[in-house]
Amino acid sequence: MLKVTDLNVHYGAIHALQGVSFNLQEGEIVTLIGANGAGKSTLLNTISGLLPAVKGKVDYLDEDITNLEPQKIVRKGIVQVPEGRKIFAAMTVMENLEMGAFTVTDKKLIADKVEEMFAKFPILGKRSKQLGGTLSGGEQQMLAIARGLMASPKLLLLDEPSMGLSPVLVEQIFDTIQSINNSGTSVILVEQNAQMALVIAHRAYVLETGKIVLEGDAQEVLQNPMVIEAYLGVT
Amino acid sequence: MNKNLVSPSLKRGLTFGIVMIIFVLIDLDVMVATMLSKLFGANVIRGSLPDVRFMVLFLILFGMFVGWSTSSDDAKPTTKLFQALVAGLTLGVVLGLFDLILNQLIVTGTDVRKYLAALAPESIRLFLFDQGAISPLLHLGLFTVASLLGSLMKILLKSESASRFFKGVKSGYQGLKAKAQANTPNWVKKYGKFLLFLLIGLLAFFLPRIWGSYNNYVVGLVGLYVILGIGLNIIVGLSGQLMLGFAAFFAMGAYSVALLNAPLPHGIMLGFWPSLLIGILMAVVAAVLLGLPVMGMRGDYLAIVTLGFGEIIRILLKSDLLTSFTGGPRGIQDIRGPTLFGQPFSSDIDYTYIILVVMVLSIIIYKRLERSRTGRAWLAVKEDTKVAQATGVNIMTNKLLALCLGAAFAGLAGGIFAARNQFTGPNDHQLMVSMNILSILIVGGVNSIPGIILGAFTLKGLPEILREIENYRLLVFGGLLVVMMISRPEGLWPATRPNIEKDEGNKLKEDGAPGEGGLND
Repeated sequence: MLKVTDLNVHYGAIHALQGVSFNLQEGEIVTLIGANGAGKSTLLNTISGLLPAVKGKVDYLDEDITNLEPQKIVRKGIVQVPEGRKIFAAMTVMENLEMGAFTVTDKKLIADKVEEMFAKFPILGKRSKQLGGTLSGGEQQMLAIARGLMASPKLLLLDEPSMGLSPVLVEQIFDTIQSINNSGTSVILVEQNAQMALVIAHRAYVLETGKIVLEGDAQEVLQNPMVIEAYLGVT
Repeated sequence: MNKNLVSPSLKRGLTFGIVMIIFVLIDLDVMVATMLSKLFGANVIRGSLPDVRFMVLFLILFGMFVGWSTSSDDAKPTTKLFQALVAGLTLGVVLGLFDLILNQLIVTGTDVRKYLAALAPESIRLFLFDQGAISPLLHLGLFTVASLLGSLMKILLKSESASRFFKGVKSGYQGLKAKAQANTPNWVKKYGKFLLFLLIGLLAFFLPRIWGSYNNYVVGLVGLYVILGIGLNIIVGLSGQLMLGFAAFFAMGAYSVALLNAPLPHGIMLGFWPSLLIGILMAVVAAVLLGLPVMGMRGDYLAIVTLGFGEIIRILLKSDLLTSFTGGPRGIQDIRGPTLFGQPFSSDIDYTYIILVVMVLSIIIYKRLERSRTGRAWLAVKEDTKVAQATGVNIMTNKLLALCLGAAFAGLAGGIFAARNQFTGPNDHQLMVSMNILSILIVGGVNSIPGIILGAFTLKGLPEILREIENYRLLVFGGLLVVMMISRPEGLWPATRPNIEKDEGNKLKEDGAPGEGGLND
């Protein structure tokens, strides 16, 4: 479904991604794990067109989408849920959801989608007329994910969805991700919480300073001694 | 403990003393006294001085304000009085010393107008109540008593019985309102809005015929600035781009109408309406030309570039190089006014009609835009460009569209402005115009139509009416902005969003008065 080949991205003089290649099959959850500054978010931003690639190729459904404008990539069905829950704080929950469906013009479809989101996240339904900025951290993350789902993506890019949330909420978020995946959406999941990510993912890639150093089935990666030492906090 | 009480009050008295001294040095005291006298119906001829009673009144009010503001909210009454006493005495002593200097000036007959243009000996005499050497004592007594009075007023008005009284009045009023609402017949509820619009429409039709050309001029000016404010609000308020050279688009409209519709320098005489359309178009073209290269910029950088753009346009219009084309520094005269069905339509009443109609149309267009998909996209771009992009908003086109639409409003206002004045020149399009429009948004309230109207009236209408403060316009302007930023940071009439519930959790339950159920629909 998605195939990234030899991707190179620079931030000024910093060579953030140095020839990253990976792929994703339809219906999979693929997780990218790695330390701060490894290039995980950079990779997602490049796929969704927010950052330009200097070299390399991103193929999506047998089509070259490298360096396409972000709004066009969204219309092709790749939606990113950005890091840090960036919801629109001065818009209501409802308006945030409607923004998520910006590429959809069919009003009926939007209304149906909103209903679907309220069924999936009942708390958002209760708070539909509140400003996004007044929600709690967990609710904001729910809203960010729901907003991403409004455009009915085929591929959802999740950037650190568990960041700054309490353990109970983290579990809830991961359950949600799994159920999204079960209903047919492919997911690329960037996480620092490697343990949780590896449990729900099918396959995993480990990024280190802009390069992929390890890849394989999530279960294998979970048992890899290097990963255990570096990311799972077991000594 | 006692020192903690004395020192802030001393400082306050000193500060207000210095404020008063500055007032005197720029003759503002006399102006305020003049305005007070007008308030009481006294007819003061321009240039002459008001009665000394009004100077006394002004100083008493000033002293009372000092006393009021010095008394801390949570202190005991005796403490409040003590604080006011200290502040009042300090104020009196500071001004008493100042009086000695002033009195010396009078006695020696020194004229200081060489250094302080506004400080005439007559003004000094008025400030000293014309009492010479004993005026310091008079001032000391006056300020002390006034300050105590102010404090006393605060004690009385903020006391519990007073607040209970106010609460009673408020609930009584609310009860009356609810009763009136319940008793309104259905047809009023249904058609009341239309009736109100009809009434306003009738007033707008007949008033310009009755109230004379001066009022028409002021209303027209306010109306034009409302249109300009709406245009700038699309750029600044909705799409979040700080624009400082808005007058350039205004100039585009004004000069298009002027050049196409005046005997000199070209003598094209195309007629008002087509040239107004071309003016709007020219403003949009200018917006595209400016927008394409600078769309990548944000915040301060965009502000600086647009400011430069505004100045470039003005200087170009003024330059010798283009004199044969734009009329140069002297501008363009004898711009022909509009016609309607072959009849001239350019009396001051007609212009008021045109401006009011255009203003209403602008408001309607603005409201439609705000609620549209594009309006939502603008808000998203304003809040977070990256995320807006990630939801599929095309940043470039949306920002450019906002700039173009805003410019179109400016071009429209500019065209009408030029035709109404029958003249336009480079000085009509100075940086100050852009600043004024931006200030209207800030003072009135960004994204709020009533706010923009109120702001335009406050900043353009009031100074016209209160011609006396002409010399102090910038001072009052600056002071107003500072006060606004502190007391009403969102503007005089901030934008409201009706569909929002506030997350007040427990508080809502406690205050769950019957009236608040309506929020939950």
